[in-house]
Amino acid sequence: MKQIKRLFRIHRIFVAQELKRMMEYKGDFIVGVIGFLMVQCSNLLFLWIIFNNIPSLMGWSLNEVVFIYGFSLIPKGIDHLFFDNLWAIGHFTVRKGDFDKYLTRPVNTLVHVMFEKLQIDALGELVMGIALVCVSLPQLSIEWSVLKVLLGIAAILFATFIFTGIKTITAAVAFWSKRSGNIIYMVYMFNDFAKYPVTIYNEFVKNLITYVIPFAFTAYYPALYLLTGENPLYNVGMTVLLSAALMSLGVFVWNRGIRAYESAGS
Amino acid sequence: MIQVENLRKEFKKTIKEPGLKGSFKSLFKPKTERVVAVDDISFEVPKGEILGFIGPNGAGKSTVIKMLTGILTPTSGRCTINGKNPTVNRKSYVKEIGVVFGQRTQLWWDLPLRETYGVLKEIYEVDEKSYRERMAFLNETLDLESFISSPVRTLSLGQRMRADIAASLLHSPKVLFLDEPTIGLDVVVKDNIRRAIEQINRQEQTTVILTTHDLADIELLADRIVMIDKGKNVFDGSVGELKTRYGQMRELNFVTDSTDPESALSYREHFSLDSEDVSVKREGSSVKVRFNSEAVAVSDILAYTLATVRVNDISVKDADIEEIIRRLYKQGVD
Repeated sequence: MKQIKRLFRIHRIFVAQELKRMMEYKGDFIVGVIGFLMVQCSNLLFLWIIFNNIPSLMGWSLNEVVFIYGFSLIPKGIDHLFFDNLWAIGHFTVRKGDFDKYLTRPVNTLVHVMFEKLQIDALGELVMGIALVCVSLPQLSIEWSVLKVLLGIAAILFATFIFTGIKTITAAVAFWSKRSGNIIYMVYMFNDFAKYPVTIYNEFVKNLITYVIPFAFTAYYPALYLLTGENPLYNVGMTVLLSAALMSLGVFVWNRGIRAYESAGS
Repeated sequence: MIQVENLRKEFKKTIKEPGLKGSFKSLFKPKTERVVAVDDISFEVPKGEILGFIGPNGAGKSTVIKMLTGILTPTSGRCTINGKNPTVNRKSYVKEIGVVFGQRTQLWWDLPLRETYGVLKEIYEVDEKSYRERMAFLNETLDLESFISSPVRTLSLGQRMRADIAASLLHSPKVLFLDEPTIGLDVVVKDNIRRAIEQINRQEQTTVILTTHDLADIELLADRIVMIDKGKNVFDGSVGELKTRYGQMRELNFVTDSTDPESALSYREHFSLDSEDVSVKREGSSVKVRFNSEAVAVSDILAYTLATVRVNDISVKDADIEEIIRRLYKQGVD
């Protein structure tokens, strides 16, 4: 309990630090906000065009597709917002020896890395995800129950850590290879498939995003449960299970990686 | 207090042939070899000591320091501080130590310096009261007041170094690791930093492990020297011991009005010395003779010089630590 309290405290302090940092450079911050709004508007326009031209997709109604698409952006956005600093590990932190800093501090290194940065761009995904869910929801006849709401929230939470877990594993490869930015990128990009119902893909892609890089459990399966109420044990249960498994594997690989870390000459 | 036992670190190194072709080749068929960076190093540091840790570039100093600070995992052997081991429990170990890498900073680059201390206070769980007392003490010792509100990126190197040392001391560590704390600094700032290190060591009995290439740091601060070369411990003792053991080279300086003192004085023939035991350098009327005091006694060389040429001003300089170290780095220790 005390440890969890400390985690939250450290998180709050790092976030405050990040916000202060962003406001330190006011011009950059303002331009960043404007750019961000422009990107979001163009994204919305693009989606609107696409969805207007597909009334249905392999038996999925437009609203169902929009709901799944929107749902997929929420856990992705949360992970992106809070834990994006893992990318830096793969790209340069390890290669340049800057990882030293984390190892000399009495905080778990993975926690320190994850909490240190805030990726404000991710708010775009989050806002859009929530907006798409909200737009599609009234048009869908979903029967809501307390259990369903709770499972829906749990699914979002655990789906977030599927992203974080996969990023942690791929980022930790850098401890051996010095650089794993492209590996993270390649694996991470498979989540683009997960924005749509997996039934539209051929067996290969379907199996890939279900069993190998299980991004389908960040969107399609939990959304399927919310839409139909079918098989919560598989649709949400697997999300929870995979999330825990990937995160555990991530922590394991990370800790092994630290032992192999070689720093850089100085 | 600090115990280092049989510390060893090997790195795996990929051997590449030069050029793009070599890079492709090693991408598909990498050849690796094991490089021993640190080979069986042991030493102890008692509480309150300032240890100068020296060696030529590439000797393995940084690797040792990084193992002692919990950054690198030793291949074998171990180091403990008060019985704590970084590979067993890193978090509790690093609370006992403060680390400054002169070439890197742990300060929050974009924010006013004060913010860094605020965050470190939380990271190290320093309570409010101790924090205030500590900041007052560090402020006084390292004179931070004038720039504590400036963003870190605007600090001069000297200010940044002081700020980094303060950051490493915020949680009152028992051991302070300083890796090149005076690198790139001017004479005055160097003096200030040395004084601060000395003061902290004296007042708080903080054990200090210092690596540096500025031997004045060593002469002024270090109680003891550990020297390593090619990953091996080659010397362990006080500055005095280093001088008596390796400091045979002395320097005789004098001013003469003789027209050609070099040909008049033939030290080599007179004392039948090897060329490396004596050398003469002349600049105008002043002459500098470097000689090995074990091969020829100081009194003999003085007597011979005074008898041979007319001398106005004469002095014999004691073994210079810089000279000793230069020779040891160049030739190694037998």
